[in-house]
Amino acid sequence: MARIRFQSVTKRYANGATAVAGLDLDIADQEFLVLLGPSGCGKSTTLNMIAGLEEISEGALLFDDRTMNNVPAHRRDVAMVFQSYALYPHKSVFENIAFGLRMRRVPEPELRRRVMDAAAKLEIAHLLERRPSQLSGGQRQRVALGRAMVREPSVFLMDEPLSNLDASLRISMRAQIRHLHAQMHSTFVYVTHDQAEALTLADRIVVMRDGTIQQIGSPDDIYERPANLFVASFLGSPAINLLEGALETIGGTLCFRRGALTVPLPACFRGDAREVVLGLRPEDVGPATSEAAQIHGVVDTAMPAGSDQFLGVAVEGAMLFLRVPKDVRVREGEPIGFGLTESRLHLFDRTTGRSLRRAA
Amino acid sequence: MIVPRPIAPRMLRLAALGLASLLLLAYVLGPVMWLLSSSLQTEREIVSIPPHWIPESPTLANFKAIFATGLGLARPSPAGTDPSSGGFIPSVAANLLPAMANSFIVAVTVTILNLLIGVPAAYAIGKIRFRGRGLTLYAILATRVIPDIALVVPLFLVVRKLGMLDSLASLIIAYLAITVPFSVFVLASFFEQMPDDLDRAARVDGCSRLRVLTHVYLPLARPALVAVGLFAFLASWNEFLLALMFTQTAASQTLPIVVAGITSDFTVSFSFLNAAGVLAVVPPVLLAVIFERYIVSGLTAGAVKG
Ligand SMILES: Nc1ncnc2c1ncn2[C@@H]1O[C@H](COP(=O)(O)OP(=O)(O)O)[C@@H](O)[C@H]1O
Ligand SMILES: [Mg+2]
Repeated sequence: MARIRFQSVTKRYANGATAVAGLDLDIADQEFLVLLGPSGCGKSTTLNMIAGLEEISEGALLFDDRTMNNVPAHRRDVAMVFQSYALYPHKSVFENIAFGLRMRRVPEPELRRRVMDAAAKLEIAHLLERRPSQLSGGQRQRVALGRAMVREPSVFLMDEPLSNLDASLRISMRAQIRHLHAQMHSTFVYVTHDQAEALTLADRIVVMRDGTIQQIGSPDDIYERPANLFVASFLGSPAINLLEGALETIGGTLCFRRGALTVPLPACFRGDAREVVLGLRPEDVGPATSEAAQIHGVVDTAMPAGSDQFLGVAVEGAMLFLRVPKDVRVREGEPIGFGLTESRLHLFDRTTGRSLRRAA
Repeated sequence: MIVPRPIAPRMLRLAALGLASLLLLAYVLGPVMWLLSSSLQTEREIVSIPPHWIPESPTLANFKAIFATGLGLARPSPAGTDPSSGGFIPSVAANLLPAMANSFIVAVTVTILNLLIGVPAAYAIGKIRFRGRGLTLYAILATRVIPDIALVVPLFLVVRKLGMLDSLASLIIAYLAITVPFSVFVLASFFEQMPDDLDRAARVDGCSRLRVLTHVYLPLARPALVAVGLFAFLASWNEFLLALMFTQTAASQTLPIVVAGITSDFTVSFSFLNAAGVLAVVPPVLLAVIFERYIVSGLTAGAVKG
């Protein structure tokens, strides 16, 4: 059982670099929290501070109500899976998994039972006598998971555990990790730079950039109501389309204007900025109907992609990248129109990058 | 059309390689073979022309003389022996075994202390990020850019002031000063190239810093430890200059000093000299054989990957 709290935590490395600045974060017991952000944004540093592998320069870290700042890693009830797996090269798979239990003096019969259990769950029981060097990448990954699992820790940390696997294995391991979380009574903190992974796994996502938190929320919150331009463009693949333009009130309705394009905006947006950016996710367009707001352009490229097709559409000097069903017939160079779903539009202040959506 | 494979150039290449290997072997092993062979010959046979690679009448007289005298005192060659007949035994024969014991004590102590001092120092430098870490390593290495010959006199004065002349302790201390920097350097670069995550994983798994060292890094470092230990042993075993300065009597003289002393007798018995040489070669060769499988991997320790 562990609730993890960061209170204004700052981490400065010996070389003076500030990796994390003024971090405030409250992670609930048994939550699955994902730290998401580009490389170098301070995710690993944050995770390592929870593990006790990096000292905290300022602020406090609490497990439940206990301040952990000065508790060394080996006295914390924390297990961790590393991107590099970090298996002990000189130990068999069995001993790799058992090591944490041996260090904690778990009696031999129980140790054996727990290792066997974990190995069975991860389907690596037949590999127990091997050395790490004799395993495939996927198998090593499982051993690394097993080593953390057997500990039955109250805090389970993972630092990009899947990023060295090939794509198909990565997808199946996501399911396995969710499963693991359901079975264990641990708080999971998971680091990744892969937005799809974060959206699949997380109860809550923390989006980070340059050592600061950009947004905390459920995957839906983050994806559908991004707090700023950075979060909006970091999530989604292909990325969200961003159109620069201005706000105007036309007949009492707030509208987005760019050249000849006028998009009436729903009431959920504030109109207190002049220069704005309209965000439109590739999948958020439908057939043009008279009720909905519309957007018109010229098809530049059409790329079939299996189930769907992607269109590059030139609109008012910008190129939008849109996903439409395969049966929409298009020809390059021809005009095309789409209907927009008001509730799926995003609007940002161009200078600050902040979302202009009113707080719900 | 089938193009015939150019057999001749390949054969030529093989032959050239074989010949080169043979030459290299002869160059490396020739002196050792002669040392061994001549130690079993009489003085008369040793100077015969052409030399006999295989002794005509092998004799163990030289070795008997060394071992028979036991740990007794130096004894002049028996009256009436004729140096040229091969029966001549130098006066220092009796000192050889005590010298060997001295050498052994010094070399083993230096080796053990090297590991005891070198491992924690190297671990700290290689794996713990502390202020002045790079500087520490440079400072340690800087002591080795000064040639030994420049250190002889200052070291001699220090040892004399400490009242430690003619003691094994003086040699042990001096040899540590020579070997430890190198050991720290080799081990530190070994620890440094071990993945950091290994250290992190072990700490999360419940190891204190010390336990990470004993349970994870030391087992992995075995080849590097062997390489470093062997180096310390050989450096101490072979060292001549400092031993010559610091030691004065059989109580502390090491093997190189006593062997060198053989040539300062009125008459030099080359066969006896070579027998002593054989004895000096035995311990390093034994060590090399015992640790053979680690030596090669220790020399390529940089290639270890987690
Ligand atoms: N040991 C270190 N010493 C100095 N700077 C570091 C160290 N580790 C990380 N950093 C810096 O701190 C920042 C955050 O790093 P990190 O937490 O590893 O990012 P992420 O895991 O999100 O990619 C980066 O700018 C990185 O260069
Ligand atoms: Mg990282």
